[in-house]
Amino acid sequence: MEEIKEADMLIGIPSYNNVRTIGHVVRAVTAGLAKYFPGAKAVLFNSDGGSTDGTQEEVEKVRIEDFKTILTSHPVHPVHKIITPYHGVPGKGSAFRAIFEAAKALNAKACAVVDSDLRSITPEWMELLLRPIYEEGFDYVAPLYARHKFDGTITNSIVYPLTRALYGKSVRQPIGGDFGFSGELAKFYLTREVWETDVARFGIDIWMTTLAIAEGYKVCQSYLGAKIHDAKDPGSDLGPMFTQVVSSVYALMHEYQKLWKGINGSEPIPAFGFRYEVGLEPISVNVERMIVNFRLGVKDLMEIWRKVLSHETAHRLESIERLSDEAFSFPQDLWVCIIYDFGIAYHKGSVHLEHLLKSMIPLYLGRVASFVKENRESSANEVEENIESLCRVFEEMKPYLIEHWEEGEKRR
Amino acid sequence: MGEVWRSAISDSLNKFSGKIITFLPNLLAMITILIIGFFVAWLFKILLLRFLKAIQFDKVSERWGLAHIVSKGGMPYSPTHLLSQFFYWVIALITLILAVNALELAATQNFIARFFNYLPNLFAALFILVIGYLIAIFLGQAALIAAVNAQINSARLVSRAVRWFIIILSLTMALYHLGIAEKVIVATFTITFGGIVLALAIAFGWGGRELAKDFLEEVYQKREKKGEEEDQISHI
Repeated sequence: MEEIKEADMLIGIPSYNNVRTIGHVVRAVTAGLAKYFPGAKAVLFNSDGGSTDGTQEEVEKVRIEDFKTILTSHPVHPVHKIITPYHGVPGKGSAFRAIFEAAKALNAKACAVVDSDLRSITPEWMELLLRPIYEEGFDYVAPLYARHKFDGTITNSIVYPLTRALYGKSVRQPIGGDFGFSGELAKFYLTREVWETDVARFGIDIWMTTLAIAEGYKVCQSYLGAKIHDAKDPGSDLGPMFTQVVSSVYALMHEYQKLWKGINGSEPIPAFGFRYEVGLEPISVNVERMIVNFRLGVKDLMEIWRKVLSHETAHRLESIERLSDEAFSFPQDLWVCIIYDFGIAYHKGSVHLEHLLKSMIPLYLGRVASFVKENRESSANEVEENIESLCRVFEEMKPYLIEHWEEGEKRR
Repeated sequence: MGEVWRSAISDSLNKFSGKIITFLPNLLAMITILIIGFFVAWLFKILLLRFLKAIQFDKVSERWGLAHIVSKGGMPYSPTHLLSQFFYWVIALITLILAVNALELAATQNFIARFFNYLPNLFAALFILVIGYLIAIFLGQAALIAAVNAQINSARLVSRAVRWFIIILSLTMALYHLGIAEKVIVATFTITFGGIVLALAIAFGWGGRELAKDFLEEVYQKREKKGEEEDQISHI
């Protein structure tokens, strides 16, 4: 970095054993920078978590030998590559921290981060993530994707509607994983001491988005097209992912309580990019197993839930548990009530936080099962309308959250 | 005769007054110890109460399930009040013993010396019991949630097994610390747990061969099936 000294743009790629896909990502990034920002001095920063499959070597090796095949002109500056392992708590957030530090050291004006397991990234992503920062004066670019109607269930059922209801900005993919941000915002992120918390892991995405909104930075979103990942690691567990994301959402809710209590409704944010339909491969979802998990939760975890939920909510859950698989339905207002009640319990600290969050998983699976059942035959647009209606319920029930939150405050 | 009688009376009175004069300072010392001791106990209770309120001990207890245990036991006090009250009575008890000791009565001296020698063991045992119980509640709940999320039907059984194992372990340790039938306690614990493990091994390996076979087959088939029907949705 001492040799490079300064850069206009920095593109961070966090990785861990992504040798199968990272080559494609690096090529897309390099081509995108050359095509859309040929005059800019750009650095590609691979922040690796100690890959053992040759990921780092792959990043080093990948070159676009003949730019003429994809570009009409040759870039003025070659893209510099920095490949380095990050330090600290193993996780995506720690990888991002190293990227923020590099952005600060190189005084980069515009930065972007993209996942290393993407199969659908194209050179256009660079323009869509960087130009709003580099030329339009925005500080934060969230992604907009075309995803399978059953993908991104934590986003669709919790993070998107809750963030929108709390902070009043309609950021459709607040934990998308691919973002653009200004050098100033990167410096701001580094001023926060959160690198030993869940933010250092899967909580980083919602933390970045929420801080950008809550601290008044200029936020927009860019339509990137389809988001297709590498095949999911079968060993990856829902538990840590769920608890880290939800814990970060609730921790931020606690931190910015003064802000969100004064916000009513929500508004769209500026959007860039050209929207188009994408054909997505069907995916299999085991609804029966989700319902079984939900029923087990009602049977065995009700004692914990009763410390969090009202008597009426608990009673409604017991009624749902008795429904047959065919009739199984988890209403939106009940789900919103649960999300708010768990947020209040997190704030009050009445249940051990890890237990609280892990005990939510059967409820979440119950809601996802109901969502999948309701939308089996629906088109992507109909599903999107269903998610929008959930968002409206979140917004309509916000007075319930404020009222119960303040009851907790008085008791403290 | 009158002289002898007078001398006997005066000797007796002298001896009595001598005893009174010897005993009086001890009595005064006892009263002083009682006043100071109860004042210290009261002051300690007030300070502890404020400290526990400042660190939100009730909230922490609620989180750890201690408040739940207290309310389940029918106690009308919060954990903060209960703990401060406990320490008040501990200091009061020590004060009483010190006060009795100040009288320098031969009968109580030995008892008090033994009591004070035993006191650390009593506290250690109490501490082990309370901490053991809290850990049992905490890990029992953690096991319950983990078992439910792993879709184990007998999640409650797993949770209870974890909870009781830790309670019995802490009880054994506490009794060992109190020096109550140490050898018997250790032997009972070893035999009981060894027996349970052996019984399970025999039941599973001999008596429940078929059951074990069915169980393992079911687990294996479930795992194979799980691989086939793995969800492909990306949660994030």
